[in-house]
Amino acid sequence: MVEALIEIDSLVKIYPPSTIAVKDFDLKINTGEIHSVIGENGAGKSTLMKMIYGLTERSSGKIKINNRDVKFTSPQQAVKYGIGMVHQEFMLIPSYTVFENIILGVEPTSKLGIIEKKEAEKKIKDLIKQYNFNLKLKSKISEISVAAQQKVEILKLLYRDVDVLILDEPTAVLTPQEIEDLFLRLKKLRYEGRTIIFISHKLDEVLELSDVITVMRKGEKITTLENNNLGKAELAKAMVGRDVIFSIDKTKANLGDVIFSAVNLNYKDANGIQQLEDVSLQINSGEILGVAGVEGNGQYELVRAISGLLDLDYGEIKIKNKNIEDLDILKRRREMAYVTQDRKFMGSAQDLNLMENSIMTHHRLNDELSYYHPVLLSKSASIKFADNLINKFKVISESSKQPISSLSGGNQQRLIVGREFMLSDQFIMLDNPTRGLDVGSIEFIQEEIINKRDKGAAVLLVSADLDELFSLADRLLVMHSGKVVFNTDTARTNKEEIGQYMLGAEMSDSA
Amino acid sequence: MNLMIELIRSTFLAAVPILLASLGGTYTYYADIFNIAMEGMLLIGAFAAVLGSYFSGSWLIGLLAGVSGGILAAIIFTLFAVYLKTDEFVTGIALNLFALGATTYLLRQIFSVKGAFTSSDIIALPDWHIPIIDKIPIIGELLSGYPFLLYISFLIAILVEFHIFKTRFGLRLRATGEDDSTVDSVGINSDLIKSKAILLSGALSGLGGVFLSLAYVNMFAENMSNGRGWIALAVIILTRGRPIGLLFMALLFGFFDGLGFALQNTFIPSQFTQMVPYLATLAALYFYSKQKKEKIKEELEDESMAV
Repeated sequence: MVEALIEIDSLVKIYPPSTIAVKDFDLKINTGEIHSVIGENGAGKSTLMKMIYGLTERSSGKIKINNRDVKFTSPQQAVKYGIGMVHQEFMLIPSYTVFENIILGVEPTSKLGIIEKKEAEKKIKDLIKQYNFNLKLKSKISEISVAAQQKVEILKLLYRDVDVLILDEPTAVLTPQEIEDLFLRLKKLRYEGRTIIFISHKLDEVLELSDVITVMRKGEKITTLENNNLGKAELAKAMVGRDVIFSIDKTKANLGDVIFSAVNLNYKDANGIQQLEDVSLQINSGEILGVAGVEGNGQYELVRAISGLLDLDYGEIKIKNKNIEDLDILKRRREMAYVTQDRKFMGSAQDLNLMENSIMTHHRLNDELSYYHPVLLSKSASIKFADNLINKFKVISESSKQPISSLSGGNQQRLIVGREFMLSDQFIMLDNPTRGLDVGSIEFIQEEIINKRDKGAAVLLVSADLDELFSLADRLLVMHSGKVVFNTDTARTNKEEIGQYMLGAEMSDSA
Repeated sequence: MNLMIELIRSTFLAAVPILLASLGGTYTYYADIFNIAMEGMLLIGAFAAVLGSYFSGSWLIGLLAGVSGGILAAIIFTLFAVYLKTDEFVTGIALNLFALGATTYLLRQIFSVKGAFTSSDIIALPDWHIPIIDKIPIIGELLSGYPFLLYISFLIAILVEFHIFKTRFGLRLRATGEDDSTVDSVGINSDLIKSKAILLSGALSGLGGVFLSLAYVNMFAENMSNGRGWIALAVIILTRGRPIGLLFMALLFGFFDGLGFALQNTFIPSQFTQMVPYLATLAALYFYSKQKKEKIKEELEDESMAV
């Protein structure tokens, strides 16, 4: 029996007064393995890692590293023991170079505190070569891609000579090609004897990469499995606690008339950057059009232009042959449902209760909410409306009087989606509607989107999740640098091809 | 000719307090602390310097007392803005008002005078006559015979540039200003970096105050900082915190300050001549922002050409 590198013994984390984030957790991680920890959002993966890494104090239990009891109070102590972590949100100084970011905190200096570059530069260059990182020391962080930034984060840890790398959902920000690239690199690191802890909720990735998989649910360890001949279904069942249907039942699209069309949308932002350039699209009744793209390539501007949140330089937008590009937001809302990507700030008013959040927009458009005069809202009608919505969209809650902030993310989003879906049956615009939700809510919302489509709605779905686009969309657009660079039937393409267009591959070929 | 030499000499002299305060403020600028307390730090430094010099009979004690005064003000600022997380702007205002009130009150209590306190017992900073150069006509008059602190403050400007851009502290300081949580994540205590930045700004502003009351003039007057701390702030923003740039901007303001003095003897009422430095500040801000806008425009045009 090999001694475990990291041994966790009945670890507990309780957030006062009574939230148990991690419960009696045992785990052994051996040297030189890629160990994935999977679980739904809120299963306690991050809390567990933060305890190992010294960011969060444990309530009870033991952590042993190389058979020695440790209790880190800061990440630096963990780094001294050879454990490093790449966070979901990168910890990099945007205006600094790659080199400066790597040495920050461990700067080699002369006696007077003057930074000595030579040796550090050599060490970093050697690492870059060894792992084929393809980075330049003098590039500014703000000018390199997200994937490159992630490489800098990994390099930062390698420069500090860590043996154990914890990666928290590292693939969330990457395209399929970049994910492949990352996996190759991680496998090389493992091959050289380093240990990798990989946190994820994406089953395909975990199955491809890991040697050992630990499943977490509600703060508890469900099981630890060797990754040979594991099936996705059994893993999902362990993770969610019930059977999960992966292939969403979707009949062939039954196309009707053109409901939505946009022609030559152009928008230049305040800094003069062309965020939308001649974007045209068309959606028929009964069709879901998916929009893919690396974040920041104009999808957000497209959505905001359609909803009326930003003024186009020129372009034409029509819903059912009616031009809407000059209408104000409220008038547009008569024609469309819109789920924003930002649940907390735009999608809802966090301090207001469920009833108040349910009737937003409806309160201006729906006469049934007022008895006497359109200006006076009826409370009883509003509550009735909210209760109906809560039932229909299975929002788990105690009463329509509790603030929406007291609900879980999934339930908040069900309410918001429900509110919007009750607004319009003809055109529905969704901006990352399932981001950060639990599997159950994702399933539910995706089914509702299909239902809407089958009832004849035209759906515009912007998503950073390629899996979601492939399972829902009938047709796909790829946006890059504000342009539509690819337009295809979903059935005729695959993720790799879409990924290439997302990276702008075709464009650089022609340049 | 004499008038020109006078004007240049007064330019140098008037530039020093602004230069020192703005060098101090540069540290807080890079730490992303909105420090408007240089005005108060200058004033406290000036008062403490007079106090120290008068009672000890030594300009050195006066200098040390002035710097300590600036640091004391900085400690108060640090305590509130960094550790108690109060609003930096409000804290700065409070500190400036406190400095004015406290120095005025103490002036009246300790020296029993109103307005200004002069005495032959206030020992001024010694002048430095540069050997050889001192003897050369005109050049000697232009370059030699200033209080020694003036030469040192020009040297400090170069050192600050080096400190901020070449050393470990500088790297960490600028990183703290940009994203303190990242700095914390690599094991540096960003609050400590911020505190150090404020203390440095207090020390340098205090030194500026010393120059004001023991070199520029040899006395203490109520509110004698008279907006120099604010001008220092404007200078920092104008030069985006480049210490060498500060040096030139401070000289420019020193020139307008001196010009204001020179114009006093003409037909222009003194109330107007006193406005000169502040009008110059507004004018500088205007040209700066106009230039910046044009630069952005040019960059954008370059970019669109490249595409």
